[in-house]
Amino acid sequence: MTSLTPTDTSHIRNFCIVAHIDHGKSTLADRLLEVTHTVEGRDMRAQYLDKMDLERERGITIKAQSVRLAHEGYELNLIDTPGHVDFTYEVSRSLAACEGAVLLVDAAQGLEAQTLANYHLARDAGLVIVPALNKIDLPAAEPEQRTKELAALLNCDPDDILHISAKSGAGVDALLQAVIDRVPPPTGDATKPLQALIFDSMFDAYRGVITYIRVKEGLLPSNARVKMFATRVESEAEETGVNAPEPTPVDSLGPGEVGYLVTGLKDVHQAKVGDTITLAGKLGSTEPLPGYREPKPMVWSGLFPAEGGDYSELREALDRLKLSDAALHFEPEVSTALGFGFRCGFLGLLHMDIVKERLEREFDLELIATAPNVEFRVHRGDEVEIVHNPAEMPSPGTYDSIEEPMVYATMITPADYLGAVMETSQSRRGEMVDMSYITPERVEIHYVLPLAEIVFDFFDQLKSRTKGYASLDYEPWGYQEANLVRVDVLLHGEPVDAFSTIVHRDKAYTYGKQMVERLRELIPRQLFDVAIQAAIGAKIIARETVKAKRKDVTAKCYGGDISRKRKLLEQQKKGKARMRRVGRVDVPQEAFIAALRVDDGAKRDVKK
Amino acid sequence: MTVEAHAEEPAGIYVHIPFCLTRCGYCDFNAYAGLDHLAPRYLRALMAEASLVAGVPGRAPGPPTWEGAEVASVFLGGGTPTMQTPADLATLLGRLRETFHFTTGVEITTEANPDTVDETSLSSLREAGYERLSMGAQSFDLAVLASLERLHSPDSVRAAFTAARAAGYDNVNLDLIYGAHGETIDSWDRTLRETIALAPEHISAYALTVEPSTPLGRAVASGVTPEPDPDLQADMFGVACELLREAGYRHYEVSNWAKPGFECRHNLGYWERRPYVGLGAGAHSYRDNHRWWNTRPPEEYMDRVERGELPIGGEEHLDPSDAYLEEVFLRMRILEGIPASWIDEQVSAPFIESGLIADEFDTLIPTERGMLLLNELVLALTAEASPSQTS
Repeated sequence: MTSLTPTDTSHIRNFCIVAHIDHGKSTLADRLLEVTHTVEGRDMRAQYLDKMDLERERGITIKAQSVRLAHEGYELNLIDTPGHVDFTYEVSRSLAACEGAVLLVDAAQGLEAQTLANYHLARDAGLVIVPALNKIDLPAAEPEQRTKELAALLNCDPDDILHISAKSGAGVDALLQAVIDRVPPPTGDATKPLQALIFDSMFDAYRGVITYIRVKEGLLPSNARVKMFATRVESEAEETGVNAPEPTPVDSLGPGEVGYLVTGLKDVHQAKVGDTITLAGKLGSTEPLPGYREPKPMVWSGLFPAEGGDYSELREALDRLKLSDAALHFEPEVSTALGFGFRCGFLGLLHMDIVKERLEREFDLELIATAPNVEFRVHRGDEVEIVHNPAEMPSPGTYDSIEEPMVYATMITPADYLGAVMETSQSRRGEMVDMSYITPERVEIHYVLPLAEIVFDFFDQLKSRTKGYASLDYEPWGYQEANLVRVDVLLHGEPVDAFSTIVHRDKAYTYGKQMVERLRELIPRQLFDVAIQAAIGAKIIARETVKAKRKDVTAKCYGGDISRKRKLLEQQKKGKARMRRVGRVDVPQEAFIAALRVDDGAKRDVKK
Repeated sequence: MTVEAHAEEPAGIYVHIPFCLTRCGYCDFNAYAGLDHLAPRYLRALMAEASLVAGVPGRAPGPPTWEGAEVASVFLGGGTPTMQTPADLATLLGRLRETFHFTTGVEITTEANPDTVDETSLSSLREAGYERLSMGAQSFDLAVLASLERLHSPDSVRAAFTAARAAGYDNVNLDLIYGAHGETIDSWDRTLRETIALAPEHISAYALTVEPSTPLGRAVASGVTPEPDPDLQADMFGVACELLREAGYRHYEVSNWAKPGFECRHNLGYWERRPYVGLGAGAHSYRDNHRWWNTRPPEEYMDRVERGELPIGGEEHLDPSDAYLEEVFLRMRILEGIPASWIDEQVSAPFIESGLIADEFDTLIPTERGMLLLNELVLALTAEASPSQTS
């Protein structure tokens, strides 16, 4: 039974599960729901907490969820965190809502970079770590090896590491007990002014903006007038409740408790992740909780409707999506090749991929996305111009310098592939920071790399050169000056803005050559030779030619052939009408899509 | 401009005889091997259909009747019409002559397969009134003939041609096909020279076209046979243009050459959008922007004719933009060209500049290179809405 009044802090435990994708986090969450009878067997379904279709299909968590488990008189709040580098900030807010973290590691595969990165985040946030090896019943499991590895990393007694099987349920009771024993209860004073941390915020078509919150100090009653610190918005909250796991209203939430608040707001931008909620008026706190940050796009791409006429539908879809995605930025963009569209900013490649997929799936749009790029800082004397569209990059010689965003990358690899990892990183302009052996067989290595390289194809290269064994995580690491140039692609002398990219000068030739070769395969023969050129400014760096078509005529055209011939011409005419014209060159839609595909990098990125 | 109707002009009659000895792998015509036993009944149906289309008083509404129509040409195609006896073909022609008003100088052609004719049969045909012969030679290269699945040999073409001359034929066409798998420029060059050496009055040279519904189409789709190389076919077209021009043939349609005065008037009728009557299974008729066609299966065709019905399988009425499109691509095919005023100068200028069309006395005519790209050219020239039909 869910208590309607706040639980004493001594009987509350707030924890999350830090795990690599496929290491069994969702399965463990399912088991916890079952063992604590929060969900009865007949209502159980796999990946209970992953509510979006996309989450289930991809086996990832995009939105943070919390669920209250009642166990042996304790209120256990499990806060599910997003599991991807794009959402590092969201992860940090989820962690800030917890006192402990279960570090879940696959007993066969061992530690991965993402787990490590999130472990560091959890440790830095002061969380108590409860380490557990999962899948110990798998034939490929190496519990001893993995226990040693984990104990070394955590600097803990190997006996403190639990061995479980989330699938069979073995050891799950012990894990719950360990959470109760080891994770400290939250602190907080019910008499202090309210401070509640928003660790996720979503838009519900019926109820408006719902925030997921952790009360730090004070009491949050139902139906209170509340205030968001960062946006200074006030509203009449409609309902306070907890997920157990279905939304269940409560009278109030007390210090240390986790639940939801139906805010009465209509736009997630008014209640952002990381913000603090307090009561409006004199009873409210005067100080927000620390750590709020505005979501900042890291990766930009142009989104264009494949059918020019769908522009207004795309605009509407983006407006609707923005209601539930505070991190999504967009502004109108006009491309000579692709027409009207939007320049969109994303937290990362996965975020970009998700937005694109949701637009196509939920709004039935067909889109062309230009190659993703990072944001550049162009220096001119004391002026700094932010450029996030290659088309806006000023010509060489008109600025002093350009800076690009860097990341601090953590990679974990079997020692056998260390050379491949270093080579790949070096060839992508990486600078090694340090490296250490987790065990004699596994190495943790750090590089500072341009984000642009990661956005381009770094992860694909890393995966293919380490047979999929290396894992990667990264965090922003400031800006650094670089010798960057814009490479333009010209068709029959006309620049195609959609193909312009900013790359390091050393890579310009390779990129240009690759692009013109790819386009030569994709552009159909026309009535004249079509030159495909890559250029830096006025200098041509690569060239290919699509030779003119020489024969396209019906051989026989007698009495019975004429209607058929006319209909074929009409069809051909419709096909032509669907093509994009660049100067005199007809370019089929598919050529744009294929030429702009960065080897499906974003999609595979999800699987790290 | 107005696309003029040609209703008052004399019509052509096309007679379709769908029987063949074997089916060739590339052919997608309405033709059948192994149905010879239907031939006598089919020939009777053809004659009955002629009477029907020539006008049955009180006939149900439908395509216009051809009552009193003047006929300037007859063309027997197939299939292989010469699988029928000259006597039967004579009877057929006689019936057509009774049913329609043949003009003086009417052009009467029959297609002929080299293996199905000799001097005697050709003499009879000529006597019956079939004064023009169109023979399928295809190639003088054995390997190419084999690749096309043609049964005859180069020698049988020469023999049939000699027989035709001996029988008094002074207006003969030879059909050639180029670009079959395995054919080289040299082989094609030899085929052309052999053809020219025979000195027929008319030569049709067709680039091999892969039709999806044929055995060849399936072989190409499955990768068994490579698709004809369009660039090689373009080279072959160039060789044909050059050799035939030197030999005194006039290039008067994309795939047709003739000694002056020997152009096929029947085929010109299609291209000049004059009326034509189609008799037989699947045959098309046309008059006044109205086109209709007979049902394709021979049995169904015969059944319906025998019931006194017109065996119509479908029809279409060309709206002004359809008519305009047909007018443009047909005029371009026969190098008659279109008035420069029909096309926006900005649209035509790049093609004139790049040598695909020539502007001769305010008429746009495709060049030799342009002829090979007519589909694209016509699309580009008619991309804008068709000019007003009333101006």
